[in-house]
Amino acid sequence: MRETSMVLDKSAPSDPARRSWTPLVLVIVACGAAAFVPSLLPNLFYVHIANLTLLSGIFALSLWIIYSVGQLSLGHAAFAGLGAYISALLALRLGVPPLLSLVISGLATATSAALLGAVILRLRGVYFVLVTFLFGQIFTLVALNWSDVTNGANGLISIPPMALFGLSFASRSSFFYFAFAMFILVLLLTWALNRSMFGRAFHSIQQNIDLAESCGIDTSRFQIVAFAIGSGIAGVGGAMMAHYIRYISPDTFTFQNSVAFITMIVVGGRSLYWGALVGALFLTPLPELLRDFAGMQHILYGAVMIVVLRFLPGGLISLASLVKPNRG
Amino acid sequence: MDFMTLTVQAGVNGLVIGMMYMLMAVGFTLVFGIMRIVNFAHGEFYMIGSLVAFYTFAQWEVPFVLTLVLAAVCVGLIGMVVEWLVIRPLRSDELTGMIATLGISVVLQNAVLMFFGASPRAIPDVVEGSLHVGPVVFTWSRLLVIAAAAVIVGGFWLFMQKHKLGRAMRAVAQDQEAALIQGISVDRIFPLAFGISVALAAVAGALMAPVFAVSPFVGTTPMLKAFIVVILGGLGSIPGAILGGLLLGLIESYGATMLGSVVADILQLALVIGILLIRPSGLLGHREA
Repeated sequence: MRETSMVLDKSAPSDPARRSWTPLVLVIVACGAAAFVPSLLPNLFYVHIANLTLLSGIFALSLWIIYSVGQLSLGHAAFAGLGAYISALLALRLGVPPLLSLVISGLATATSAALLGAVILRLRGVYFVLVTFLFGQIFTLVALNWSDVTNGANGLISIPPMALFGLSFASRSSFFYFAFAMFILVLLLTWALNRSMFGRAFHSIQQNIDLAESCGIDTSRFQIVAFAIGSGIAGVGGAMMAHYIRYISPDTFTFQNSVAFITMIVVGGRSLYWGALVGALFLTPLPELLRDFAGMQHILYGAVMIVVLRFLPGGLISLASLVKPNRG
Repeated sequence: MDFMTLTVQAGVNGLVIGMMYMLMAVGFTLVFGIMRIVNFAHGEFYMIGSLVAFYTFAQWEVPFVLTLVLAAVCVGLIGMVVEWLVIRPLRSDELTGMIATLGISVVLQNAVLMFFGASPRAIPDVVEGSLHVGPVVFTWSRLLVIAAAAVIVGGFWLFMQKHKLGRAMRAVAQDQEAALIQGISVDRIFPLAFGISVALAAVAGALMAPVFAVSPFVGTTPMLKAFIVVILGGLGSIPGAILGGLLLGLIESYGATMLGSVVADILQLALVIGILLIRPSGLLGHREA
């Protein structure tokens, strides 16, 4: 019911430009605030959590792009891992500068997603999800066993840190600025994509794929495009992770991580891309906030998840409409 | 060891593991068929089943048959409570329900971790000794797993085919609204289906407890395998899960014997993707509407 009224709101002539520009204003405010974050946080551990939260935000947003065409990827972490391994290997073996390897890994990941998407073109809905799951399993197996290249279960160590025009982002505090910039970039990209012709096509496919197809929208092409963009961004995020933690192994990107990204979208609220953001912001630091309840923290984490789903089926972002029910 | 012995031995090992996959996959596919959710906590119920076996069989030395019954009943009841408490309120939205099962999985696994500890503990074999047929040796404990699983799946099959409730479940899986019109109470079928599903997982856990050790993390692999079996056999198809489970177990065992376990694992996944491309609905599944 709420969703329908929102769709109606969007098409209503009552000043649509104002609302859609609100995110930009928020982003500018967030940028201003972010400048002080590393110096305000009490110690480096919190900065580390902030960095991980930004990376989760990138993963969740990119997964949301795939979700916005009505698909779900259970192999999102595998694409992140693919990007991480490509970037790390380029930097370690060939001495490619991290920024360039970041770009290459994003493109390579997007290409492999597009190829996979083209092969599994005819699979719809749940079967598509299953193939992404299998892709994730194959990725883990290959990463574990192709020891000559991936160094197997031991993983790749001493990956060079992120650097940009001689500026190093090796420390936690400096990486925060890089991660934040990348996060904003992904956010703006999602926002722009959402507003573009692509975004409208995506949503029409999500709402009714048959109707969209009969309206002349090439649904499988758009689904592949969304899958490739989302997975490509995940690849970049994985590469960033590799150059930040400076160690990757097959355990860094497992099925559990893929599922965690989906959880972020659902707990945050999946009707809008803000939901992915809110989910990442809420769930990534949550285990740390619960650290006082030593031993109980994971149980509480699961319980909080269930409670949110149970009482806020629209996710955390539906809180906003509870607070001010007459918006618009 | 000659070729024949090797073949038979690998076949028995494949059957043991395939029976476990079958028990897991049958319940997994039952819940998917009826409730349209992927139960990510399925492996946790397997784990609790093996835990029940650890306490009742290894600690209190209860007869093994009783252990199996206890595992099924305890876990079945837990499953019904979980369905009523967590999944029922989210019934209108399958994706949310699916994510909620993830929350259940986290809670169950860590609760067990808290009072059981992380270190794996072994359970003695149920029966000692082995059967010699010519040059081939079968351990009785392996044969017991195969026989017990076959009896349980057979019973479950009969229940689904003949019993009123089983037929009601199949009706709900086919068309929920039409089943409602026929006077089937979906509110009663859902917790029952969920309870039976996780009870089967618990029995699998209890049966395999002497083969693998018991720890809070033993459920993960069987869950992933059940997922693969269900893809192979067709989502929601019980015959598909039975066939797929046996097939996957045998492929795994023969593949590992002849090509090494790594190649076998990758081959297995490639095979499943191949089948999905040729027959998207799995070996015995029906086309999605």
